[in-house]
Amino acid sequence: MTKTITNVTKRRLSPTARPSGSTSAMLLAQVRAEFLAAFRVPEFLIGIVAIPVMLYAMFGLTSSGTLPDGTQVRALMMASFAAYGLLSLAIFTFGVDVAQDRKGGWLRLMRVTPMPAWVYFAGKFAMSVLFGVLTVLILFAVAALAGGVRLPLEKWLATFGVLLLGGLSLSTLGFALGYLARPKAASTIANLVYLPLSFASGFFFPLSRLPEFLREMAPYLPTYHFGQLVWTTVGSREAAQAFTGVGPEGTLEHALWLLGTFVFFGVLALWGYRRDRDEARS
Amino acid sequence: MNVIEMQGVSKRYGKLEALRGVSLEVGAGEVVAFLGPNGAGKTTAISIMLGQKLPDSGTVRLFGHRPDLREARGRVGVMLQEPGLPQSLTVEEIVELFASYYPYRLPTGEVLQRADLLEKRRAQVSQLSGGQKQRLYFALAVVGDPDLIFLDEPTVAMDVEARRAFWEQVRGFAALGKTILFSTHYLEEADANADRVIVLHEGRVLQSGTPAQIKRLVAAKTVRLRTDAPLEQLEALPGAGRLERENGHVLVYSNEPEAFLGELVRRGYSMSDLTVKDTDLEAAFVSLTGKLEA
Repeated sequence: MTKTITNVTKRRLSPTARPSGSTSAMLLAQVRAEFLAAFRVPEFLIGIVAIPVMLYAMFGLTSSGTLPDGTQVRALMMASFAAYGLLSLAIFTFGVDVAQDRKGGWLRLMRVTPMPAWVYFAGKFAMSVLFGVLTVLILFAVAALAGGVRLPLEKWLATFGVLLLGGLSLSTLGFALGYLARPKAASTIANLVYLPLSFASGFFFPLSRLPEFLREMAPYLPTYHFGQLVWTTVGSREAAQAFTGVGPEGTLEHALWLLGTFVFFGVLALWGYRRDRDEARS
Repeated sequence: MNVIEMQGVSKRYGKLEALRGVSLEVGAGEVVAFLGPNGAGKTTAISIMLGQKLPDSGTVRLFGHRPDLREARGRVGVMLQEPGLPQSLTVEEIVELFASYYPYRLPTGEVLQRADLLEKRRAQVSQLSGGQKQRLYFALAVVGDPDLIFLDEPTVAMDVEARRAFWEQVRGFAALGKTILFSTHYLEEADANADRVIVLHEGRVLQSGTPAQIKRLVAAKTVRLRTDAPLEQLEALPGAGRLERENGHVLVYSNEPEAFLGELVRRGYSMSDLTVKDTDLEAAFVSLTGKLEA
């Protein structure tokens, strides 16, 4: 059969074809798909949003009293469980989710489309931010309405901001897990990472009530520095000192710890991403 | 310049040489079948053309571009074997998502209609049957209105009726001037749907030609029977191709088994234990390789 030789650089569009949307439309579609997929698996929502709220209700609302500067213990506990929630969010949306996508072949299929890789990551980020905001706002509401926590408006806002930024700084930890862990083991490893980290950083119980050796170890954990940033935002430095029994160090030092964590695991995640891609190509 | 240009591509997985110096070209508007038994290197060749895998040596260009670049990817649609989709999204949502990835797109309704999924548009992936999932993969392959479509063993999970409907869809795209490359291990499928057949065997291009040319080399059907007709008589019958003996049975490779069997009956020979089936390509290619090398 003879075929007309034509210029292959010319597109041969169907009569009904039309230009697709812009890159921002692609990003929006990706984010939408991530949300829909997440909202249809309620267990996911419950795990991410409801557990910190439930734990706060059990352990935070039952604690009473005020610290020397007048800050309510319940307010600091609210900060602790919010930090815990954001850590679990980072580990699960970026870590376990990515590992699942790798296992299912979904990533393999997306890679042969013209979608740039950053759109995929941006989708995960957007979802994580939305669930992060949701977790924090619900915790704030429970603390204020059921716990009688009272803070000036600027404190609420500052705490909200510090929590979200700190949560994002832990995102690369999740991505590193997602790319380095074997998909089947990702969920187990995630639990092994974030539960002990939360406990040892004083998110479940104030560090001052934990054994001495944990207080000595805490300053080597990035999540402890996250905690200190939030506690010193909610209350004064004296309040954080009384609440934890350690530190706090300067705000800059805590922030640098988080930045270092972000960069260190970012490099690790990038290495894992490349390894995964090269393995797929070989 | 051709749509696909592959030159001297080799690929090895450990000790297994999956591809050994494959070169081929596919022009605009061609419908090409990759024909070969399992393990011939069809999937590996397609993954290299898609830029999913890197060749150990050799080069691939799609529309003159490296296959992993957006210039190429934006014009390519793909139906992979068992890709795995987010289970909780609906058919319509996934099609919309994929449409957003490509520079051009077809209307969702049209794609779903072409893939015969209109009734399932609101069903979640987890509720689809195997055949419906396969049709969804086809929908995802075409929603970006690609100029080049790769179909890796697309009909594996389909029954006869679904196959017929599927190839009708594919021909619809070919009629628009699209280039299509599909892999199969059925000679009949290649014969019925391709302009050109590239026979792959053990990582090499064994033959490339029109379906008619390939059929002259490899008969589509194998007739297996017991008969009292002497071999030299059988050979002379119309429709009879190559003959083989197999523990008391005779194997006759044929493109016209009806004519062959009809004549056998007319001549009054006995016949028992009769089966007619699609030729096992592995066996056919082994003999073909022998013929070529001899």
